[in-house]
Amino acid sequence: MKLLTRRAFGLLILTLLLIAGLLLFGVRYALDASSWAHYPVNKHLYHNGILKTAGKIFDRNGEILLETVDGIQKYHEDKAVRMTMMPAVGDSHGNIATSLQVAYGERLSGWDPVNGAFRFDERISGFGSDITLTLDAGLCTAAYKAMNGRKGTVGVYNYRTGEILCMASLPTFDPENRPDVEAAPEKYEGVYINRLLSGVYTPGSVFKLVTAAAAVDNLENIEDKIFECKGEMIIDGAKVTCPTAHGSVTLEQALAVSCNTAFAEISLDLGGNTLQKYAEKAGFRNPLKVDGIRTAAGKAEISDAKGGDLAWAGIGQYSDLANPLNLMAYVGAIANGGVRVTPELIKEDGIFSVLPGGGVQEKRILSEETAQRLGAMMRNNVKEVYGESNFKGLELCAKSGTAEVGDGKKPHAWFVGYLDREDCPLAFVVVVENGGAGSKTAGSVAAKVLKETVKKIRNEE
Amino acid sequence: MDIVIESVIEMISGIRTWADRVVTGVRDYLADPIEFSEFYTLAVRWVFPVLAAAIFVRCVLPLLRDRGSGRIWGYLEIRDAYRIPVLHWENSIGRSKLSDIVINLPFVSRSHAVLSYGESGWNITDLASKGGVRVNGEKIEKSGKVEFGDTIAFASAEFQFLPPEEGPENSIRRKSRLDLIADLGRNLTAGKTFLLVLAFQLLGGIQILLSMGEEAELRILYIFIILAAAECVCYFILSKFSRKFRELELMIFFLCGLNLLVVSVSAPDQLTKQLVAILLGMIVYCGIQLIIKDVGRGRKLKYVLVACSIVLMLLNLAIGETRFGARNWINLGFITFQPMEFVKVAFVLAGTATLDKLLTTRNLTAFIGFSGACIGALVMMRDLGTSVIFFVTFLVIAFMRSGDLRTIALISAGAVLGAFFVVMFLPYIASRFEAWGHVWEFSDTIGYQQTRTMVYAASGGLLGLGGGYGYLVGIPASDTDLVFGILCEEWGLVIALIAVFIIVFLALLVLFLLRGCKSSFYAISACGAVSVYLVQTALNVFGSLDILPLTGVTLPFLSNGGSSMVVCWALLAFIKAADERQRPDRTESGREPEEITEEEGV
Repeated sequence: MKLLTRRAFGLLILTLLLIAGLLLFGVRYALDASSWAHYPVNKHLYHNGILKTAGKIFDRNGEILLETVDGIQKYHEDKAVRMTMMPAVGDSHGNIATSLQVAYGERLSGWDPVNGAFRFDERISGFGSDITLTLDAGLCTAAYKAMNGRKGTVGVYNYRTGEILCMASLPTFDPENRPDVEAAPEKYEGVYINRLLSGVYTPGSVFKLVTAAAAVDNLENIEDKIFECKGEMIIDGAKVTCPTAHGSVTLEQALAVSCNTAFAEISLDLGGNTLQKYAEKAGFRNPLKVDGIRTAAGKAEISDAKGGDLAWAGIGQYSDLANPLNLMAYVGAIANGGVRVTPELIKEDGIFSVLPGGGVQEKRILSEETAQRLGAMMRNNVKEVYGESNFKGLELCAKSGTAEVGDGKKPHAWFVGYLDREDCPLAFVVVVENGGAGSKTAGSVAAKVLKETVKKIRNEE
Repeated sequence: MDIVIESVIEMISGIRTWADRVVTGVRDYLADPIEFSEFYTLAVRWVFPVLAAAIFVRCVLPLLRDRGSGRIWGYLEIRDAYRIPVLHWENSIGRSKLSDIVINLPFVSRSHAVLSYGESGWNITDLASKGGVRVNGEKIEKSGKVEFGDTIAFASAEFQFLPPEEGPENSIRRKSRLDLIADLGRNLTAGKTFLLVLAFQLLGGIQILLSMGEEAELRILYIFIILAAAECVCYFILSKFSRKFRELELMIFFLCGLNLLVVSVSAPDQLTKQLVAILLGMIVYCGIQLIIKDVGRGRKLKYVLVACSIVLMLLNLAIGETRFGARNWINLGFITFQPMEFVKVAFVLAGTATLDKLLTTRNLTAFIGFSGACIGALVMMRDLGTSVIFFVTFLVIAFMRSGDLRTIALISAGAVLGAFFVVMFLPYIASRFEAWGHVWEFSDTIGYQQTRTMVYAASGGLLGLGGGYGYLVGIPASDTDLVFGILCEEWGLVIALIAVFIIVFLALLVLFLLRGCKSSFYAISACGAVSVYLVQTALNVFGSLDILPLTGVTLPFLSNGGSSMVVCWALLAFIKAADERQRPDRTESGREPEEITEEEGV
């Protein structure tokens, strides 16, 4: 039978093909079983597209933001809280991709690869599938109210531990009383986008923090240099203007008054490549992941920019687009001696949280000196321009931005910065869409939220 | 120091929170206790995969033993000096290393003759050799009879044909590389493995019963008890009347048990029908084995079955009913069956031949003609899946028959045939291929079955949700086309994969045993049968998972279906026939069989 054994080659190939196919299935299963199981038609987990039983979502103080009882979802009892927390928690139909119900659907549902969707008695299954957020519902609601219905976002986070304390994004709606979003597209523009995580806006003058860092590191004696601002500057036919002629200004003064011509000169001196490099430190193009949730990358195409474009890019216009969370983390790095701590939303309650400094993701993006210098300049901004009285007791270091968006619309108002206090190590970002002047509009929102936050932290101690 | 204290305090508070949760949980539980059935499922879902794995390993290891042993049917002795054992019923003789008896002497052709055993005793067939074959001095034309004691000459090489010895020295033992692995299983007894199989089936039956809650029908438990009884009877018959290893049947019992566990949930009213099919299958299995024990009888069976198949095919084309797009059912009022399933048995037999016929008649026209008729009929019935099964099996068998250049011509002919029926099927195939690879985009239309299979298979995890608790059974035709998904969902990925591995193992076993086959009749039919299993398994499992387009074929032994079950048992008979080995407890006790080294030749 040797002859036939040889000729059974075809059968061997068939067997190997079958084994290969099974291996392929095994690989696919290992990679995709979770998303297969969480397809909303799965009757084991879902009823009418909503998870039948799920873990609860708590805020950092134990307030229940979402629970599922007998297949019915119940959000927080207070309407303002519901509306504020909707971007973080999600609506019941999975419309917000970055929300916890979508991004952490598997953890909430309790599915795992060994047991599948097995539940031993519905009631005890909540073990281990609850999620506690680092957010404080009260603070978020305060931020929401401070925004007073205007579109935009507010973010506050602890730049030492990375915990995000406040996250608010408007417009939003009440998930328990869903309005007809399609009927009012203006009112609910982008309502499914969490602007802190996924929004991108023209940064305007807040980008000068990037340019300034690049200048301090790369241009010699830049802090002693005097710039002459005549109110406007022509570069290769393109015009760069300031609202008024600032006269002779140092770097520190230029940052405080936000002098465009000075920074235009700096951008030209730095060149596109260097500026691009520093932009990427601030998260442009390499966005952070917050607990595995992707943030928007923004846009910075400065490498090839020249002349007028390069100048405007360094001032935060041209084609620059910034994501608020990434900028907030950048400012947090300035506050934290040049080490950027990645913000996080979910409170770790595993063993790692008990270890000192455990579970914190950090990266050095600026030298300690540069961070200190920038920080000093930002403190100076507040003292000289924004008014210490507006931010009494906060030890605020900040930068405002008024980003022109054209089309006859009002500019976006930005305000980013941090508190230089050890007991309240907070960095923040506020964007008010089409809000007008940065420090006035966004600054006042920031003042309210920060004061509230400090009060809460002080009360807890 | 502060940090340490803080950490300790945090840990304590963490433990307190956890303890609170436990207390609340226990309180909730006591307020409304859980039923016994939930506890049962919780416990037993860990037991099932362990049992299945144990059964699998305990069956595979013993079956890998003694690959190199075989009975000696006679000797060719050279002048009182050296004797070569004749190990098969058909032995090719020649100078080629691929011959069963290698004679490296001058004037002997590469492929000289075939010494074969048939209805009329031993024959020697001349394969158009240069030197010719002489029996007792007389030159033979084409073929002639030989008896023990005769002198057979191949060209100038003379041998005496001697009978085998009596007693334990009538078999040989060769060392095989797999003996190392197989030895791990040397102490495994089939009896204990059988008990494990019975345990699995009974525990599974109870699980199904409990999962039905108030609608539980005790009838289901009775069915499992009858299955267990039938398996005991079969096992007893095997132990008494057969000398071969029993583990093959044990694996199939396991699969039949899974089959009933699936059917009892998906279509409980068909449970009796399925059980009857299993019993019928076992009878057919034993019957076919008895018939083909003698090759001559097997050949007669071949002609009978081919004739019946042609009748069945004509009948199907005339009065066939259409279900799920394919016109492959016959309804006789009291019974419905799929004729093309039975044709598979005839098809596998149609391709076989004894070695002497294989090496002399290069003519395959009859087989090609029959294959063409079958595939043509399937094309007309629009049964895409089964036509692929027949086509691939045809290629495997044809290659085994002819072996070389000829096959290329055959494959080309096959490819033309293939192209032909792609064109025939165009509108029908197009819809299958449209969804292939993109089932999620069509998840509510043509991708419905595949997406649901993946969703529910993933819900089962490794351990399964417990028999009776699945949703996939609610989808039409899930217990035939999507049965792999049902196994994953209710019994877990581990058990589903083990079930498919059993079928893969059958193929490996056949490849493993080919060497020792008595006759090429058994070798080719075994390969054909296992090829049918493989293609069916691939089409069924991969089709339901979107690795291949979905076609409506059944998974051997596991899918619901009477005809499918009976025919799978029938095909199993051919696989079993390829196994020549004897159980240790059934060989004659006492002396060890003589050991022989690999290379046999002069």
